Amino acid sequence: MNVIIDGQSFEFEPGDLLLQFCLDRGIEIPHFCYHPALSVPANCRQCLVQAGLPARDRATGDLVRDENGKPVVNYFPKPQTSCSLELSDGMVVHTQYDSEEVAAMQADNLELMLINHPLDCPICDQAGECPLQIQAYKYGPEGSRFEFEKVHKPKRVQLGPNVVLDAERCINCTRCTRFTTEVSKSHQLSIIGRGDTNYPMTAPGQVFDDPYSMNVCDICPVGALTEDYFRFKARVWEMSSTPSVSDFGGKGINVDYWVRDNHILRIIPRENLSVNEYWMPDAARLVYERYNENRPQGPTLAGNASDWEAAYDEVANILKAANGKVVFLGSAYATVEDNYLLMKLAEAVGADAPQYISRIQVGSGDNWLISDDPAPNTQGCERLGMNPLDPVLLKAKLAGGEIDVLYVLEEDPIAAGVLSADDLLGIKVILHHYHTTNETLAHADVALPAAMCVETIGTYVNETGRAQRLRPAKMIRSMNRSLMMEAGVGQSRTDRHGTPFDRWYNEDHQIDCQPGWEVLPAIAERLGAPMSYKSPAAIMAEVAEANPAFSGATHKAMDLLGVALQDIGEPV
Amino acid sequence: MADAPSLITGETKAGDWRNYERVLLPPVKDLHKIDVYEENGGYSALKAIVEDGKFDPKGLTDEVKASGLRGRGGAGFATGLKWSFMPAVDPEKPRYLCCNGDESEPGTFKDRQIFEYNPHLMIEGIVLSCYAMTIKTCYLYIRGEYIDYVNHVQTAVDEAYASGYIGQKILGTDFSTEIVVHCGAGAYICGEETSLMESLEGERAYPRIKPPFPAQSGCWGMPTTINNVETLACVPLIVNRGAAWFAGIGPEKHPGPVLYGISGHVNKPGVYEFPTGMLITDLIEVAGGVRGGKNIKAIIPGGSSTPPLTWEMAREATMDAETLREAGSSMGTAGLCILDEDTDMVAFTRRIAHFYHHESCGQCTPCRDGTGWVEKLLSRIENGEGYTRDLELLLEICDQMEGRTVCALADAAAWPVRWGIRRFRDEFEARCKAESFVSSEMGDGASTETESITI
Ligand SMILES: Cc1cc2nc3c(=O)[nH]c(=O)nc-3n(C[C@H](O)[C@H](O)[C@H](O)COP(=O)(O)O)c2cc1C
Ligand code: SF4
Ligand code: SF4
Ligand code: FES
Repeated sequence: MNVIIDGQSFEFEPGDLLLQFCLDRGIEIPHFCYHPALSVPANCRQCLVQAGLPARDRATGDLVRDENGKPVVNYFPKPQTSCSLELSDGMVVHTQYDSEEVAAMQADNLELMLINHPLDCPICDQAGECPLQIQAYKYGPEGSRFEFEKVHKPKRVQLGPNVVLDAERCINCTRCTRFTTEVSKSHQLSIIGRGDTNYPMTAPGQVFDDPYSMNVCDICPVGALTEDYFRFKARVWEMSSTPSVSDFGGKGINVDYWVRDNHILRIIPRENLSVNEYWMPDAARLVYERYNENRPQGPTLAGNASDWEAAYDEVANILKAANGKVVFLGSAYATVEDNYLLMKLAEAVGADAPQYISRIQVGSGDNWLISDDPAPNTQGCERLGMNPLDPVLLKAKLAGGEIDVLYVLEEDPIAAGVLSADDLLGIKVILHHYHTTNETLAHADVALPAAMCVETIGTYVNETGRAQRLRPAKMIRSMNRSLMMEAGVGQSRTDRHGTPFDRWYNEDHQIDCQPGWEVLPAIAERLGAPMSYKSPAAIMAEVAEANPAFSGATHKAMDLLGVALQDIGEPV
Repeated sequence: MADAPSLITGETKAGDWRNYERVLLPPVKDLHKIDVYEENGGYSALKAIVEDGKFDPKGLTDEVKASGLRGRGGAGFATGLKWSFMPAVDPEKPRYLCCNGDESEPGTFKDRQIFEYNPHLMIEGIVLSCYAMTIKTCYLYIRGEYIDYVNHVQTAVDEAYASGYIGQKILGTDFSTEIVVHCGAGAYICGEETSLMESLEGERAYPRIKPPFPAQSGCWGMPTTINNVETLACVPLIVNRGAAWFAGIGPEKHPGPVLYGISGHVNKPGVYEFPTGMLITDLIEVAGGVRGGKNIKAIIPGGSSTPPLTWEMAREATMDAETLREAGSSMGTAGLCILDEDTDMVAFTRRIAHFYHHESCGQCTPCRDGTGWVEKLLSRIENGEGYTRDLELLLEICDQMEGRTVCALADAAAWPVRWGIRRFRDEFEARCKAESFVSSEMGDGASTETESITI
C-alpha cells in the first residue's frame, strides 16, 4: 500500500499514522502534543497538513483520472492533524514543504500559540532545546499582531519535591497529564481551569510526588515544567551531553549525561525501547552529585598522598609478597572489562577467582525502572563466572590467617556490611574507590581512585541480560588515548558541540583517578604477567569471543542501544 | 445552490400553522405526572412495540428514517441514519444511548420545557430508541444548572420504573433497559457529544477527535448513539401516528414539529411549538411582535452560534435547514433571537464572543487563544479604542480558528464574529478609529497600544 507525500511515493503498513511515518523518514512536521508513548489527543493543532484520497468510480471501484491521466484526488474539506491521521492506500498528502497553504496554517497556529506565551526565553531553562522556540523560528510567523496584555497564570509553583511549574509558559499540550494517567499511572496531574486560563495542577492539597515525576519535564515541549534540582544551573548551550548508561540499579537505564565544567549537572533518559523507553525514575537523576562530590584526588599509600607509579609498585610488591594468599573482590559496579582483567590478575598471582558482593533485595524494586538490584552490573559478574561473596566464609578465612591481602575493585565491603574494621586487622588492603567517603578507605594500604561510570569506557549487563556500553561524559586528569578517542576530544570541540563556551578543560574539576583497565594491566606488568590491550574495546572483543555468555557483545555492536545476550538462566 | 430554485419565497412551508395541534408540549394540565400522561395516550407507543410487536428494532429504525426526523441538538443530522451506524450487536459489548440535555447555548432553552411539562414523552422516546438499537442503558445527561429539572425528571423516571416502563423485563416482556439521570458538570462544552461522554466517564470534558465516531467507540469505548432531548421526544409520536404523518409536517427535507425558543426584543418571548418551515415573520407575530413596535435590525435564527441575518436577509426566510442555509445562516437549535433597530451589534457580538471565550475547553490552540484574542479586539472596538484594521484582523483570526479544531466550538465562536462584521460592517467601522499608527515618535510601525504596553 502506498501513500504520496509531497509528490513522493512511500510504502506503509496498515495502522501507520502520518506524523510518525513522516518523522521516521526524516520528514519533519511541526508538532507539540504528539508523543509516541502517549495517546493521541490532537489538541495542539500544529501538525496540520492537507490530505485527500483518490476518487474512485462508485460502480467499478476504478480510479477516476483527469484528461492527463492523473488520478483525481478528493481532498478532505478541512486540514488534517497528521498525528492522528491513519494512512490509507493511495492517500495524497501535502505538508508545509510543498503547500504554501499548509505552511501558512502552521504559522497561523504558532501565532495563536504564542500570543499568551510569555516569550521569556532569555531566562527560561528550556531555551536552546525548546520545541516551541525551535519550531516558532522555523515555522512561525515573522512577528505578532497581538497587542494586549497576556493572560497571567501562576508562576514558580512547586508541584512536588522535584518539579516546578510556570503555568504561563504552558501550551496545554497535556503531555504531562497524559504521562501521569497513562504511563506512571499516579494520576497526580490534571488540567484545571478552562480556555486560556488552563494549566496542569495536582488535586487540592496533593503533592506531585510521583517517583517518576521529572519525566514530565523531559516531555514538556516548553519551559513550563522544570526539574527543581536543575533550575537556573546552566544554559543548554554551555553544556555537552553524552549518551551512556546509568549506574542506578540493574535496569541499565539509557541516559544522556549533561556536563559543564567537568561537572555532571543533569541526567535525562535516552530513548531505548528495549530498556527504559523514554523514561527514568527521579531517584536515578538525583544521583548526579555523586559523580562530582567527595571524589579522591590521586592515589594514597597508607593514607599519604603518592603518585600512580609508586602506587603500582607498592601493589605489585604486596601481591608478590602474599604468595597467592590474596582474596580478590570484583564489583557489580565495575564494568565487565575491569572485572575480567581482575580475574586475570587473580589467576596470575595464583589466587582464587574473584567474587562480588551481591546487593539484590527481592521486592525492593517497583517492577518498573527501579530494580531489586541497586548495582548496575550484577549480570556482568555472573556471566563472567564470578560468584556472589559469602561473607561468613570470607570472615573465617581472614580470621584464620589464610589470607594476607584483600584486593577490592570499586567496592566498599565495610559499608556493604560484609566486613567490619576488625576483620581487616593485620590484612593488607588494596582498594579501588570512587569516593573519599568509602568506609573501607581508612584501612587501605594502597588506595587507587577509580573512574566512575561517567568517566570510563566499558560494558554493563543489565538484569535482563542486555550488554550496554558506557561512554565517558567528563574528563579525568590523566585522559589517555582511548578516553580521548571515545570522548571525541580528538575533534574540535566546536565541531562536536557547536559552542566554544564549554570549559571542558577546567582542571579543577578533573578527578585524578584511573579506570580499572588502565590500572590492572600496569600492576600485572610489574608481576611479569603482561596484559596488553589496545583499548577496552579490545578487552570486550576478547570476552565476547571466548565466553558464550557474552557472544556478540562487542563495543561496535553494542553501540548506542546495546546487545541482548543469550539467556544463561536465573542468576544464582 | 445556483441551479436550485430559491427556497426563500416569503411563503410559509409550515402549512396550516394557525390551526396547528401541539404534540410535543400539548396543552394538558399536569402532563408531567405519569397517570395524566397515560390518560392522554402515554406509553401506548411503547406498548405497541414491546407488547404487540408493531416494529422490530430494524423496522423501528426504518420508520424513523422514513419520518425524515433530523436532530434537534444543533447539527440537524438525520436521526434514523445515525441509528443505523450502530454496529451489529455483540453480546460481549455493552451499547449506550446518551440523551443530550446539556442545553447551554445562549438563545436555546427548549429542552427544559420538555423536562418540565412532558418528561414522559422523552422517557418513552428513550426507551423506544433503546429498543431500536438494542441498547440496555441510556444516560440522560442534564445540564448541572438545571438542578430543579434534574430532580423533576428523576421523579418522572422513578415513576416510569415503578410502572414497569423502564428497567428489567419492561411490561413483562424480554426487553430491558435502564435510564440513569446524570447531572452535568457545568460547562457548555459538556453538550458536545464526545465531551459529554468524557464527562460521563468522570474525566475532564475535553472533546475527543473523530474518528473513531461514537457508534464505533463512544462511552467507555463502546458503541454509543447520542441524541438531543427533543429529537428523542419525537420518537413516540412517529410510532403512534406513523412516519408519513411526521414527514407531512413542514417542508419535505426538514419535517416535523419543532420547539422554537424565541428571545430578544419581542413582546412575548418564550418557547412555541409549530411545524418546521415557519416564516420568521410569522414567528415574530406569534411572539407578540417587536417590543415598542420598533424595526428589526437582525435575527439570530438558531442559537448564538448561528450567523446573524440582517432583517433584509431574514424577512422572507423560513425556519428549515435548507432555506436558512440559502439565506446565509443555519437552523441550529431553532432558538431565535430578535434584535431591534436600537441594538448595538458591536456590543452584541462582543457579548457572544465573551461567552465562547469563557466556554472554550482550552484544548485546541486556535480555540483557546483565538477566542480570547477575538474578545479583546471586540472589547476595544466597543470601547471606541479599536482601529479599522482590527476588523480585518478579526476576520483573519476567524479564518485561523474555523475548521482547524477538535470540535465545532471554535467554528461556533467564529461564525457570529465573521458574519456580524460582514453583515453589519458599517456599525463596526463607525466605532473604530481610522488612524492606527503613531507616525512621528515611534516610527517603527507600533500602535499606541503597543507603546503603552511595552513602556
Ligand atoms: C460546543 C457544542 C455544544 C453542544 N451543546 C449541545 C447541547 O447542549 N445539547 C445538544 O443536544 N446538543 C449539543 N451539541 C450538539 C451535539 O454535539 C450533538 O450533535 C447532538 O447532541 C446530537 O443530537 P441530535 O442528532 O439529536 O441533534 C453541541 C455541540 C457543540 C459543538
Ligand atoms: S505543562 Fe508542559 S507538558 Fe504539561 S500541558 Fe503544559 S506544555 Fe504540555
Ligand atoms: S474547539 Fe475549543 S471547545 Fe472544542 S475541543 Fe477545541 S478547544 Fe475545546
Ligand atoms: S501534534 Fe498533531 S495536533 Fe498536536
